[in-house]
This record gives sequence, C-alpha cells and structure tokens, in this order.
Amino acid sequence: MTSDMILPFYQALTEDVNALSAQVPALATDTLQDIRRKALERFSTIGLPTLKTEAWRYTNIQRYLKEFPYELLTTAAAVAEDVVNSTAIPELDCYRVVLVNGHLQADQSTLPEGKGITIGAMSANTTATGFVTYFNEQQHLAAESMAQLNTALFADGLYIELAANTVVDKPIHVVNVYSCTAHAFIQPRHLWVLNRNAAATIIETSIHPETATIAFANSVLETVVMENAELWHYNIQQGAESFREVHTTAAQQHKDSRYHHFNFTLPNTPFTRNNLSVALKGSHTETNLNGLYIASKHQHVDNHTFMDHIMPDCNSNELYKGVLLDSSNGVFTGKILVHQEAQKTNAFQQNNNLLLGTKADINSQPQLEIYADDVKCSHGFTAGQFSEESMFYLRSRGIGEDAAKALMVNAFSHDITDAVKVPALQHFLQEQIAEIMNN
Amino acid sequence: MINSNEIIDDIANKEYEFGFSTDIEMDMAPPGLNEDIIRFISAKKNEPEWLLEWRLKGFAAFKKMEFPKWQHFEMPELDLQALSYYAAPKKKVQLNSLDEVDPELLATFAKLGIPLNEQKALTGVAVDAVFDSVSVATTFKGKLKEMGVIFCSFGEAVQEHPDLVKKYLGSVVPHTDNIFAALNAAVFSDGSFVYIPKGVRCPMELSTYFRINAQNTGQFERTLIIADDNSYVSYLEGCTAPMRDENQLHAAVVELVAMEHAEIKYSTVQNWYPGDKDGKGGIYNFVTKRGICKGTASKISWTQVETGSAITWKYPSVILQGDHSEGEFYSVAVVRNKQIADTGTKIHHIGKGTKSRIISKGISAGRGDNSYRGLVSVGPRADNARNFTQCDSLLIGNQCGSHTFPYIESRNKTAMIEHEATTSKIGEDQIFYLNQRGIDSEKTVALIVNGYVKEVLNQLPMEFAVEAQKLLSITLEGSVG
Repeated sequence: MTSDMILPFYQALTEDVNALSAQVPALATDTLQDIRRKALERFSTIGLPTLKTEAWRYTNIQRYLKEFPYELLTTAAAVAEDVVNSTAIPELDCYRVVLVNGHLQADQSTLPEGKGITIGAMSANTTATGFVTYFNEQQHLAAESMAQLNTALFADGLYIELAANTVVDKPIHVVNVYSCTAHAFIQPRHLWVLNRNAAATIIETSIHPETATIAFANSVLETVVMENAELWHYNIQQGAESFREVHTTAAQQHKDSRYHHFNFTLPNTPFTRNNLSVALKGSHTETNLNGLYIASKHQHVDNHTFMDHIMPDCNSNELYKGVLLDSSNGVFTGKILVHQEAQKTNAFQQNNNLLLGTKADINSQPQLEIYADDVKCSHGFTAGQFSEESMFYLRSRGIGEDAAKALMVNAFSHDITDAVKVPALQHFLQEQIAEIMNN
Repeated sequence: MINSNEIIDDIANKEYEFGFSTDIEMDMAPPGLNEDIIRFISAKKNEPEWLLEWRLKGFAAFKKMEFPKWQHFEMPELDLQALSYYAAPKKKVQLNSLDEVDPELLATFAKLGIPLNEQKALTGVAVDAVFDSVSVATTFKGKLKEMGVIFCSFGEAVQEHPDLVKKYLGSVVPHTDNIFAALNAAVFSDGSFVYIPKGVRCPMELSTYFRINAQNTGQFERTLIIADDNSYVSYLEGCTAPMRDENQLHAAVVELVAMEHAEIKYSTVQNWYPGDKDGKGGIYNFVTKRGICKGTASKISWTQVETGSAITWKYPSVILQGDHSEGEFYSVAVVRNKQIADTGTKIHHIGKGTKSRIISKGISAGRGDNSYRGLVSVGPRADNARNFTQCDSLLIGNQCGSHTFPYIESRNKTAMIEHEATTSKIGEDQIFYLNQRGIDSEKTVALIVNGYVKEVLNQLPMEFAVEAQKLLSITLEGSVG
C-alpha cells in the first residue's frame, strides 16, 4: 500500500516507467520490459517502506523522500575533469571507471583491457551471458521495495564480467558522480559477474558536486562470485550535504568462493541506507563483511545486512563498527539465517558502537535464525563510551582531550581499516578518519 | 390456564430433579464474548461500578485490535466466541487413593520428588486428616496478617481493599496494551493480589501457600503484586508437576509495582500440557507480564522455567523508572516435539543509573522452535545506565530451530550496553568424554543441560531449583540417541 502523502510521487514514477523505454531502447527489450513491469507491480504491492515495515522500523525513508520535490533523472550530463580527478585516491595505481548518474563516461575512464574482461555499460551488454543469466536473479531483491523500484526505473549502470581464470592486475576504481540541475531521483543499476577462478578488487567512491540541488540515489548492485573466484569490494561513502542514498547490494557466492565486502560511511550525507545481502549457494565459501560508519550532525546511517547460509560448510564473519557524533542516528540490522541443510556453518557477527554525541543514538537488531544443529553461530553488540582508564592514561601523558579522542577513534576503527588489503586505500581511509576527528 | 400451570409445574419439578447440581449449571455462562457476559461476570463477582466500567473499556479496546502478525510462528486459529467466559470452579473427580491415578503420572511425580501429600492434592485424591490444607493455609494466613501482608484472591481484594486495587489495577499493563491484555481486562476471572507494607520483608515464599491452595485459577487470571517502600517479596507461580487443563488459551496478566528500595522476585515454573507428538492439543500460553520499578533503588527480578505448553509466548518486562533501580530476567525455555516458544523480555531504562541483566537459555529438541525476542531501550535521561544480555541456545537434533531477535535502542551516550548470543549443539567430544566414564548418553545430556542452565536455576527458590532440574532431565528424555 502506498501511503497517501507519497501518492503523487508514486504516480509520477509509474508514468516514468512507460517513458523510459523510449529513452534507452537497449534496456527496453521484451524480456526487460516484462521484468520492469513485474517489479513495478511488486513495488505497488509492498509500497514504500514505512516505520511499520519491520526492516525499516528505525528509518523513516518517506521523511527523506518528501523533503524535496524530486524528479526522476535518467540521463547524464558532462562533468568537468577536475571534479572527477578530485576523487582520486592518492598513490593508488588503478583503473578508473567514471559513471555519471549511472551512465558510463568512456572518455574519462581508463578501463582494464585484456582477454576475458568485459567492462562497459549495462545497456551495451544486455545480450552477454552473465546479464542474461544473472540480471535480477537475486531473490533477496524481491523483498525490498526500493530495489523493485530500481528494477522498474533504472536507466543504466556498470556491467563487469570476468571470464573464467581472469585476474584483474590492478584495483578498479569506480567513481560514481551524481550530477543534477534540479532535485533528482537517480536509479543506477550494476551487475558484476566473476566466473570460475576469477579475481578482482573494486573500489567505489561517490561524489555529488552541486550543493544547491539534492541528488537522491537509489542504486542496486548485483554481484555473482562463481566457483573459487574472489572479490574484494570496497564501498566508500564520503558523502555530501546535498546527497541522499539507498544502496542495495545483493551478492551470491558459489562453491569455494571468497567475498570481502567493506563499507565505509563517512560524515555529511544526511541519509544513508545500505542493504547488503549475501546468499551462499555453494559449500566451503568464505565471507567477510566489514563496516565502519562515522556519522555527525543530524546524519542518519542505516546498515541492513543479511547473511543467508543456504549450503553447508560455509564461514562468515561480520564486523560493523560505528562512531556516532553530535545528533546522529545509527541503525544496524544483522540477520544470519542458517537453513536446515547448512550444517557445519560458522557464522559470527559483531556490532560495536561508540556514542560520542550527547544526542546521538543507536538502534541495533542483531538476529540469528537457525534451523541446523551442527553450527557455531554468535552475535555480539555493544554500545558505550571510551573507557575512563584509557582516557585518563592518554591525558596523564599530556595528550589533549580532542587528540586523545581522535586517537581512541582511530584505535576503535583499526579492526576495520587494518583488514583493507590495498595499502594506498588503507592510508587514505586512516587519513580521512583522522581528519573527521580533528574537526 | 391449565397450560401455564403445567409449565410452572414443569419448572418446579426440574429444579427439584436436578437439585444441588443445578446451582453449578447456573454458574456457567453461555459461550460467546459480548458486553452482557462481562456485566454478568462482574455482577457474579459483586464488583463495584468502576471495575465493571474498566472491564468494558478493556472490551472496547479489544474490539478495535487485531491479532499480531510479527511473531515467529503461525498463529493458531482462535475462536474467542466459542469460549465460555465464566464458570464456577468445577468439582474435581475425587479419587480414593493414589492407586487410582494414572501410573505414568505417578512415575513423573516420583522422579520430581514431589511429597506424597502434595501428589494427592495435585491429582485430586482426597487428602487425609494429617495433611489439612485448610489449617496449613490458615496458619500461613495468620502469620502474614500479623505482619500486615495482604495475600488473597483478586476477587477478595476487590471487596476488601478496593482502594489499593483501584489505584494499581492496569497501571503497569493498561487495558489497551495488547489484544490479550485487553481480553483479560474484559473477562478476567480471578487471580492473586499481594500487598507488602512499608518495611516488611515477607517471611515466606508466597509460593508455598499458593501451591497448596490456588488450584484452578482459570484461564484469564490476573495477578497484582505491590511492594511498598523497603519491602521484599518472593513469589512463585506454577509448579513442576505436569498440569492438564481443559482451557486451551491462557491469557493471564501479571502486574508488579516496586516502590522505593523494594524488591520483588517473581519466579515461574510452567509445565502445562504441550500437546501430543504432532503438536495437537496443548496449551497456548499467551501471558502479559510486566513490572515497574517506581521507586529509587527498587528491584524486580523475573525468573522463568518454561517447559510446557504448545506455544509459550510472553515477554516479562521491567520498566526502570526510579533512579538506580534494577531489573533482572533469567529464563530457561525448553521446546521439544512441535512445541514453540517465543519469549524474552523488555527492559526500559528511564531513570538514572539503572541496571539490568538478562540471561536467557533456550534449548530446542525434536522439531521444536525456540525464539528469544527482547528489547533493551535506554532513554535520554538514563545516564550511566548499564545492561548486560546473554542469550544462548542449545540445539539437540537437526530438525529444531533456534532464533534470536534482540532490539537494542540507546539514546544516551553514557549508557553501556552489552549483548551476546551464541548458538551451538552439545559437543560430540563432551558426550564422548562422559560416555567414556561410564555415563550413558541420556544422563550425559541431562548433566550438560543442567550445567548449561545452572545460572538461571540458581535464581529459583531452593526447593524449586531441585525440582526444576529434575524436570529438565525428564523433559529431554529420549531426545538424544
């Protein structure tokens, strides 16, 4: 059910779906139109999330959607080279993929080349095997109305497919530029497929250069990690005051694969919601989900994760840490579902929070749902302050209060930053954290 | 004229014909839930006008509500109109000696170590002169009265202490709280009322008395316990003996109020009929239990051992309103066959320096489904609040389920909250170790389970702790091997 207040917005969206087919004919094939129509139907059945939607009980998305008169934006505008360059991670030797509102800008990108590497716009790859097999295949997307909306409305995105045994030699830096001249609602859609024995490291950052117009991105990324493949995915949400984001990642892993996901949410963006789900479709997999969120002012950061243990003998580790400053709100939901067949599962989850702002708050729902008996599963949660002893220790050695705090936050986030395997990126993140704490 | 005379004669004869038992028949309300029934119940109990109005308000709230959908089990179909909401206590079939009792039941009693006289009381065997429950009760009552403790049935309290009842009834669990609480408010039959005056430490476990006397309290019981300043009371409801009951739905309400420096310890041992192997029959135990720590440095502690019922669905909660007040929740929930437990607690930290501790131990066997669902919320005023939560689950057999759904909300930066949950099965190495020392698998499991739940059982009054331990072993019999 769509609530009354959001109705005009919703009606506009329905019209947009019909208009879309004319704009990007490649993404309006019969099959895709059918998928889009079904997604829209599904969206209108579940409706926009409300506070009564269990998965959204601590996040009022309608509040953010109603904040400005958003219009659906499906096109890209040229973005100055220096804007793109400003996102570069110092001393990182990498390939660069520039996407403006989800549309690939080939002339500003340095794409990896070589046998077995397919990288390009979704609209240019609708006949690729990976696209045909895996597009919109993730069941977890069906339950999420924002993802359904994306399926119905997406205009383009990044398609990556690595053939079997293909290893990309350098990290791929995906620069998501969201650029608009009026308040815009943007729907990028990506699909990354790593076939058997393939490996890649992908770093995502985003930038919204305008300050007067608000960009609301509702992006969906599907990743497929096939047998014995390995994907390192870093998503760095640096944020801007004029940016809002719902980011849905649905991953699936097959036999013997490794998937490492890092999510860094840094201050400024008033509203961030990250949906992350991993479906384990093969045995003997390894999954590491790491998250660090540092929120300030009235920022609202919601991390919603779902580990779906379908097959036996899989390991998953999840660690999310949060630092909540000023009047920020943090939300964490971590669900581990172990199916009856998934014996010998090891699944661990930890969520630690530092509440530093007087009006900051944290709502957490770590969940275990277990139907197999030969498993080891646990979750842990903490919320609190620096220990007085540690603060006293630092202060007694002549370190000022602010510097001591910055040091402690650095130490607190170390578990996450230490796991970053790209040295330049690790250094960059540590600098960012230090800078936030010094301001 | 002749006709009407005949009718009059008929009626006269009928009354004569049925004699004494007619009275009981008349005390039975027809099935159905409506305002008339509520008025009927209220009139039968000779209740004051305000109580009737409160019942009607509860009914009005009930009519507006729907059954919840968020629980982790399929809601059984309940036809609330098919129930009869008032029945005078039924006469139990009196047996002459224990020889007539079901031998299986006696074997269970023997394993639990229940004294012979209590066995008789529980099975409805006529009690001999040596063990006169009435006189025991009178002795207890006299002692309590001396100290100013009020402990009586709810109906009695309404008649004799209307001011206290009026002041506190619905103050912790309002009639609008949830659909079952609303239903209970409308039709509650009876229950217990306890008031501990200022500075009094209740000299005995109120359970002892309760256990002998308060049988058949009915399916919509209501308990209200008030501990005034600096007082202490320990209360135990239920018993370890398997209880069979004709009422399938139990929607009780328990309200606890602790004033300054008062402490209430509430223990529950629940072993209602769980239904057969396929989960047919069995009690639905949908209870609303909540306590409020109103005064400074007050304390409420819930301890529960839940082994029975087809569905156990309850969240004994504590509102920590007074500064430096303390809430505790200790729980053992065991499910086997097709039993379901969705239980846990809610702790609301409102006052400064409030503390809470939650220890939940779930055991799932067979095709049972066990969920811990809990809320810890810390309000902006609750400076230096402290919470520790641990919920562990033990899985026995590969068809059971065990789930944890905690909700943690912190709005205060000085609060410290810790939550920990683990799920695992009994290690094969542990079983092997004990087997190798000549302990058979069944006893091994009992031993490990008892170690696992010790932290909770230690909170029970001593004699019940021993029984509860035995109860767990019996419940899990045949689950392994």
